[in-house]
Amino acid sequence: MARIVPRTEMTLVEKAYIPEIARGLKVTMGHFLKGFFKPESIPVKHYPEVEPFVPRDYRSRHRLMKRPDGEPRCVACFMCATACPANCMTIEATSSDDDRIEKKPSKFEIDQLVCVFCGLCVEACPVDAIRMDTKKMAFAADKRETFKVGLEDLMDWDPKDYPESDIQSQKAPGGTLNAQARKEWGLQ
Amino acid sequence: MSNFYHMPVLPKPDAKKVTINVDGADVEVPEGTNLVEALKTIGIDTPHFCYHQDLPVSGNCRQCMVETDGPRGMGLAIACYTPVRAGMKVATDRSSDKVKQARQAVMEFQLANHPLDCPICDKAGECSLQDNYMAAGRHESRMREDIGKLYKGSPEFRHEDAKGQERGGKHVDLGPTVILDQERCILCDRCVRFMRSVAGEEQLYINQRGDHAFLSTFPGMELKHDYDLNVTDICPVGALTGKHFRFRQRVWNLSKTETIDPFDSLGANITVEHNDGQAWRIMPRRNPEVNKSWISNRTRLEYQKLSKDRLTAGSFQKAEVPLAQAVARAGELVRGARKVAVVASGTLTLEDNAALQALVAGLDKKAELFSGSWAKVGSPDGIAQSGDPVGNRLGLKLLGISENLDELVARAKEFDVLLVAGHDLWALDAQKAKALEAIPERIVLSPWHDATTAKATLSVGVRAWAEVRGTMVNCQGRIQMLNAAPILPSPDLEPVWQVVSSIGKLGWTSELDAYKAAQAGIPALAGINYRGIGSQGRLLEGVVA
Repeated sequence: MARIVPRTEMTLVEKAYIPEIARGLKVTMGHFLKGFFKPESIPVKHYPEVEPFVPRDYRSRHRLMKRPDGEPRCVACFMCATACPANCMTIEATSSDDDRIEKKPSKFEIDQLVCVFCGLCVEACPVDAIRMDTKKMAFAADKRETFKVGLEDLMDWDPKDYPESDIQSQKAPGGTLNAQARKEWGLQ
Repeated sequence: MSNFYHMPVLPKPDAKKVTINVDGADVEVPEGTNLVEALKTIGIDTPHFCYHQDLPVSGNCRQCMVETDGPRGMGLAIACYTPVRAGMKVATDRSSDKVKQARQAVMEFQLANHPLDCPICDKAGECSLQDNYMAAGRHESRMREDIGKLYKGSPEFRHEDAKGQERGGKHVDLGPTVILDQERCILCDRCVRFMRSVAGEEQLYINQRGDHAFLSTFPGMELKHDYDLNVTDICPVGALTGKHFRFRQRVWNLSKTETIDPFDSLGANITVEHNDGQAWRIMPRRNPEVNKSWISNRTRLEYQKLSKDRLTAGSFQKAEVPLAQAVARAGELVRGARKVAVVASGTLTLEDNAALQALVAGLDKKAELFSGSWAKVGSPDGIAQSGDPVGNRLGLKLLGISENLDELVARAKEFDVLLVAGHDLWALDAQKAKALEAIPERIVLSPWHDATTAKATLSVGVRAWAEVRGTMVNCQGRIQMLNAAPILPSPDLEPVWQVVSSIGKLGWTSELDAYKAAQAGIPALAGINYRGIGSQGRLLEGVVA
C-alpha cells in the first residue's frame, strides 16, 4: 500500500545553497587532511596486504575432499554437474582402481568464470566430496583458461588449514586423524 | 524353472474390442491381449519388471498385481499373464487398497537387499526400479539401518564390507561386451529369456534359489553373441551394463534423435543419443514390423565411427583445401569433362541418389550413372539384420538405377572424370577398383578418410548418415526416415545431395527438393510426405511381392 512521506521544509540557510556547499566540502577536506597527516586513524581494510577475515561457511573456491589414501572422495556421479545452474562443471568418469569403489573422476573441471558460487553442488553431493570452504575468494589471471581449475588444483589443500573439528578434512593425508582412518580403510 | 513361456498377445490396430469393467467403469479394450497391454490402451500404466512386449511372459516379478473377479470373488492376479475376458471386472491401484499394498510389499522385497547405488549407477534416470518405486513404493523404510544389506548371491563374490554388511559381486565380467552387477540384479530373468528365445543361444541362467539366487553365465561359458548388448537395454535395473557405454555419460544428459541403421537393408530403427555435439550411444527403437526391440552389436557400435577419421575439409592433389573451394573445383571438373562416370550408392538416402540422378540428367550424354556394391551379402539372422550391408538397395532399384558397377570397371578407359559418393570401393575390392585408377580425375564424396579418398585426386567431406535427414527403402519395401542429430564434426559439412546440387547447379535448397525429385522417379511414393512416413516407416504398396 502506498504511503505518503511528507517532505521536510528547507531552512533559509539550506535554501541559500552556498553555505551547504561549504559544509559538504568541509567534511571532504576533513577526511582528506586526516588521511594526509594521520593515515593510521582511518578505518580501512589493508587489502591485499592484510588478509581479511572470511568465515568458514563463506562460499569460496571449491575443493575436492580426499580419502585417507589421497584419492578423491568423488564417485563421479554427476549430481553436482546436474544441479549446477551455470553449467560450469565438466566431469569425466573412469573405473576406480580400488575394488570397493565403482567410479572415480578422471577429469573434474570447474570454470570459475562461469561459476555463480551458489553452492548447489555442495548441497547435491551425496558423499561430501565437494566443499566450498577454502576461504579463497579472490581470483586473478591473464587467460580465460587459467580460471578453469582441474582435479589437481581442487585437491591441492592442506588439512592443517582446517580446524580439528573438521573430521573429514583431518582424515586426509597429513591430517591428525589420517593414521586412524587409514586403519579403518584397510590400509597400513 | 520351465524353459517355455508364451509370447504376449499384443493389441493390433484392427483387433475386435471387448468390454471390461476397470475400477467401476466399463471400457472397451482389444480382445485376447493381456491386462498390462489392455490397460495401456486406456491410459493406465501398470508397473512391471519382468514383462517385456517382445519376450515370452514369465510372470515372476509380481509387481503388476491387479484385482480380477474369479469364482471366489475379487482376488489378486498378475496383469501380464491374465488375458482379457469379456465382462471381467478389474481393480487397479486407483480403486483398490489391496493392489496398492501388494505392489508396495513386492517393492519392499525387491529393495530389501538392493544397493543404494543410484548416484553411481549407469541406469539411473531410465531405471524401472526407480520409476516403480516412485509410483508404487513404500516411501518410509522399515529396514534396520544397523544391519544394512544382507545380500547373499554368488558365494564366489560374497564379502563383508567396512560397515559389516554382506555384499556381493559388483563388477563381474560376463564376456567381451557386458559387465554384471549381481547386487543390483532383481532376478526378472529378462536377459535369460532374451538369450533363450531371441538370440537362441542359452548362455545366462539364474543360479541357486530364494535369496541365494543370482544371475551368471553357465559354468565355463561367457556371454558372447552378436546381439548380447540388448540385455543391457532390457535389464530393468543397472545390473547389466555395456562396456562401451559404462561410466561415459549420465542418461538424463542425453538428447535423442530417431533414425535408422543405413548399413543393413532391414534398416533397424534406432535412436542416436547425443550430448555436447557428440554421439554417445545408439539404442534400439521399437518397431514391431522391422526389428522389434533389438539391434545387433554392429549397429549399436556404429556411433563410434561418427567421431573417428572424419573428413572435415576437402583435399585437392593431396593438399587440404576449404570445403567450398573443393566443391567449386569439383563443379568445374564435372562440367568441363569429356565424359563423366557417376557412381550412386545404396548406403546413401533416396535424396542423395535423386541428386546424383539429376546431375547425370543435367549433363546430358556426357555423363553415365553407375551403381552397385562389392560388399558381401550375407543371410538374414532372423532378429534385426537382413545380412545385406547396402541399406537402400531397394530404393536404388525403385529409382531405376541399375547395378552395373562391373561394367564401369570394364569401360573405365572411356571416362575422364569419376564421381564416387558414399562408396569405399578400394576397401571392398582393391583389385577391381584398380581399373578405375585409369580415370585421370577421381572425385570422392565421403564422410571419412578411407581407402577411396586416399586414391582420389579431389575429395570432399560430407555429412555422415546420422547427420542427414532423408529416406531409405528397406528390404521389406518400407520407406523409413533418417533424421539429423546435431553432432557435426565441422559446421561446414553438407549432405551429399547439397554438394551434388552445387556441382550440377541444380539449385536445390532443402532435402524436400531432393525428395520431390525422388518422388517424381518413384510412382509408389506419390502422395507420401515426410510426415506420412512417420517414426515407424510406411510400407510401399506393390514394391515387394
